[in-house]
This record gives sequence, structure tokens and C-alpha cells, in this order.
Amino acid sequence: MNLLGIETSCDETSAAVISGGNGAAPSILSNVVLSQVDIHQPYEGVVPEIAARAHLSHIDRIVAQAMDEADIDFAALDGIAVAGGPGLIGGVIVGVMTAKAIAAVHKLAFLAVNHLEGHALTVRLTQDLEFPFLLLLVSGGHCQLLAVTGVGAYHRLGTTLDDALGEAFDKTAKMLGLGYPGGPQVELRAKTGDAGRFDLPRPMRGRPGCDFSFSGLKTAVRRRIEKIGAPTDTDIDDICAAFQCAVGDVLADRAGRALDIFERRFGDPSALVVAGGVAANQYLRGQLSNFAAARGLELAAPPPDLCTDNGAMIAWAGLERLRLGLTDGLDFAPRPRWPLDPNAAPAMGAGVKA
Amino acid sequence: MRGQAEALVPMIEAVMAEAAADYGNLDVIAVTIGPGAFTGLRIGLATARAFSLAAGTPLFGVSSFDAVLAGAPVVAPDESTHKSVLVALETKRADIYAQMFDTAGAPVSDPAAVEETALAEFAGAELPVLVMGGGAERALKVLEAGGVDAVLSPAPAHADAGTIARMAASHWRPGLAQPSLEPLYLRPPDATLPAPRDLAAKP
Repeated sequence: MNLLGIETSCDETSAAVISGGNGAAPSILSNVVLSQVDIHQPYEGVVPEIAARAHLSHIDRIVAQAMDEADIDFAALDGIAVAGGPGLIGGVIVGVMTAKAIAAVHKLAFLAVNHLEGHALTVRLTQDLEFPFLLLLVSGGHCQLLAVTGVGAYHRLGTTLDDALGEAFDKTAKMLGLGYPGGPQVELRAKTGDAGRFDLPRPMRGRPGCDFSFSGLKTAVRRRIEKIGAPTDTDIDDICAAFQCAVGDVLADRAGRALDIFERRFGDPSALVVAGGVAANQYLRGQLSNFAAARGLELAAPPPDLCTDNGAMIAWAGLERLRLGLTDGLDFAPRPRWPLDPNAAPAMGAGVKA
Repeated sequence: MRGQAEALVPMIEAVMAEAAADYGNLDVIAVTIGPGAFTGLRIGLATARAFSLAAGTPLFGVSSFDAVLAGAPVVAPDESTHKSVLVALETKRADIYAQMFDTAGAPVSDPAAVEETALAEFAGAELPVLVMGGGAERALKVLEAGGVDAVLSPAPAHADAGTIARMAASHWRPGLAQPSLEPLYLRPPDATLPAPRDLAAKP
């Protein structure tokens, strides 16, 4: 099966073609990603209207490029998948309308994929992994622990009560004047920093359940910076290292609790999977890998370029859904909010991040 | 706006079926480029651009001003009733999207988002001015309050898809390519640059 995938739900305009699902190992035939980082940078965050305009300006060219690089015609596709939400609705609409129109012309199966399901299932594109698995989904908009028992079957075990993890990274970078997006900058600066110089809190560590909270950590970072006054390069490196170290400890603690809950409810997971943009962070991957090893579990993570938003993950989730017959109608309504686990209770203060 | 993203493609499928037409047999796809509600413009343009890509069919963009003008019954050079035409479109904000035309329907101004206080000057000196479009009644009130000789046109406030298709049929010729059709937003995105920060004083 060949699928085209389209992703426009935040600040990446992306299209990809993948092949697989008929016994052979799946392969990515093309994965074109146009980042909008440059146009949002002056605003220190993604501006929804600017993002929507940029998606429209580029999406058809990006789709054409993905088809060209994959050396395939629309008629040779079996389906077209698009991130139908959650995300910035102006961008989601551009992607959804593009996908619907192509599907209509070539009478292709249309699949409106939950963007988070794209992140969740990517690991099955890059390696052979059975359900069920424990998923830590960490991105600019989300921080959740989920039991994934099948395609479309998600059970939320824990979520952030305030900021998403990527948001906490970005805000730390902003307070330190490191620019936007801040996650990669914090990781870079932390490499040369002394994580032991500043003592930062580990919010929620040791608490029952496996929810997260990052606002206290963010406040502690701000107080440190205020106390220093004008931080030197060394101060900035040390704060970044201390922040990242605290986050690593919290993630391991929460994942441990989640694993206990998982084993009670669903038995042994096939792996601990980490996905989403923050999963590209090599330090956190290392910490999670150590944690998993200590619990006799494999850590499975997509390669870093498939952790950030991309069309291939949407195409793959579409392929997983198509082989189960889970297609959608061309009257699909784009969804700004779309929880992976519709039965999970809303988390206080987390808003759409839950 | 609500529901357009859901309704549009099934509606196109129904229209194609009713006409017993094939996407591959279309010569051109016509679409309004605005101005109008940003999300609505993007729904129409993303769809049209993708149909164009998927079927290899050229696009023909029509501005909302031209579309209203084309939908008017007659814009005859009848100097007894008016000497110019103002197409005014509702912005749902304080300003009005506006463009001036002569009595033959040729544009005599660029399309613009015009503040109410600047509308009389925008309308110019060729009076009386015939006012049409979805913002016509508000524009007329503003002009009359400013002492401008203006008359309300009985033309429909909005063009329908049939008008857009007819405009393409009479104006589009093979080889007339509009490669990357962009919306006519007439307004920059709402976004303010952050104030410069003093890291030490206010982190």
C-alpha cells in the first residue's frame, strides 16, 4: 500500500509518501518538511494567522515535491492521510482541504488522522513493535503517559496539570534570552553546564499517580535567574543543565509510576515508547533508556527527525488505520481539540494539553 | 464560516455528478480570492489549488469585488443615475473593504481596507456613486453622513458560484496561467512583536 500523508497542524508544512502494510517492511519514499521557524522567531512563538497563511502558500508545492521525490503518481496511491487535529485550526483546515480535494479527484481512501496518533504510532514505522506499549508523549503542546493497546485504542494514565514539557523548555529558554524555539538551545547549553550547581525542584516526584506539573520548576528557574541578575554564559549553561536534569528525574519517576499502573491493568508492555518533539532530546532519551533498562524494558523511540512534526508519521498512522478499514468521509470536520483518550477526565488547568 | 470545511468537497462532488462531468475534463477551476473572512478564503483556495494539482487543471482567480460587479444586473453607463461604482464588502470590523470602478466596470482604484472616516475621499469626485456589495448599506450611510451623493444598487450583495464560473468562461484562455493563487487578505496578520527585554531587570 502507498499512502500520502499531510501535516499542517502547527508550524511545519509537510508531506510524505510511505509504502508498506503488505508483509514487507514499511519504507518512507519521501518526507518533505518545510519549517516555519524563521517567520515565527521574531514573535517568540507561533502566530496562528501567520502559520495558516504560510501553510496555504506552500502546501501544494510541498505535496508535489513529496510525490516527485517518491516517483509516484496520485493514481498509484491507496489512500491519503491528513492530520485532522488537534492543533492550530487555520493550518489544520488548509491540510484537510488539500487532502480532501486530492482524494476526490483520484477516488482515494481519505483518512483524517489524530496528530497525536501520528506521534504515537511512528515507532511501528521504524521498528517491529507489538501492542500494547507504554507511551510517553512529550511535545510543545502535550505531556502525557498512555497505554496504547491497539490502533485507535489509547488509555491515558497521566497528563500535565499545567504546562506541556516543550512549553517548559521554551519558557526556560525565553527567560534566559536563548530565543525561539528554545528546546534545542537548552539541550545544547546544558551539554557544557554543571547540573549540580543549582538545586531545582522535581515537581510531583514520589506522588501517587503519574501526572506532571512544570509550573513550579519554571518559577524556580525564574527565581534563580532573578537572584543572579545578569547571568553569564556559564550561569546559563548551568541553569540549562540543572533544568534538564530535573526534567529527566521527573520523567523517570512518572514513567515508573505509569509502568506500575500499566502492569496492573494491561500486563507487560512490549516497550516504553517516547515520542513527540521533546523525544528528540538526546539527554532525556538517555535518562529514559537508563530507567527502562533498570526495569528490564526496552526504550523505543523514533529517530529524532521523525519525533518532530512530519508527514511520514501521518501517512503511517493512515496506513495503520486503512488496513483496519478505518476511513473517513469527505465531510470530516477539522478538530482543534481531539484527545487521544476521549474517556479521560479533563485535567485541571491543562486545557487542550490534556 | 461554520461548516464550510465539511460541506465544500461533498458539494463539489454533487455538482460534478449532477453535471455528469469528470475532473479530468475541466478546462479551468475558478475560485474567489477575496477579500473576505480569512478562514473562508483559505478553505476555498486550499481546495481549488489541490484540485488543480491533482487534476492538472489551471486555476482562475476572481476578486470578490469583480465578482459582485459581474453579478450586478447592469452597470450601464447611465450618467443620469451615477458616474462611478463603489463595491463595498463587509469586514465585520470598523473598516470596509472597498474598490472603485468606472461605469464600464473598469477598476479605477486598488482594492483596500478603508476606514469609515476615509471612505468619502476614497469614493472620489465622480458623483453620484453607485454602491453595491455586502457592505453597501453601511458604506451608503457613511457616505451620506459625509454629504457624498451616493445611491444604493439593487445588485445582489454576494456573487454565487455560477457567476464565478461564467466569469472564468468569458475571461480565461488556455495559457493564461496563475501559478500560485494567493488570497487577497488586504490586512496583515494580527501579531505584535515582543518588546525588547532587559534580561537582568525583567526576566
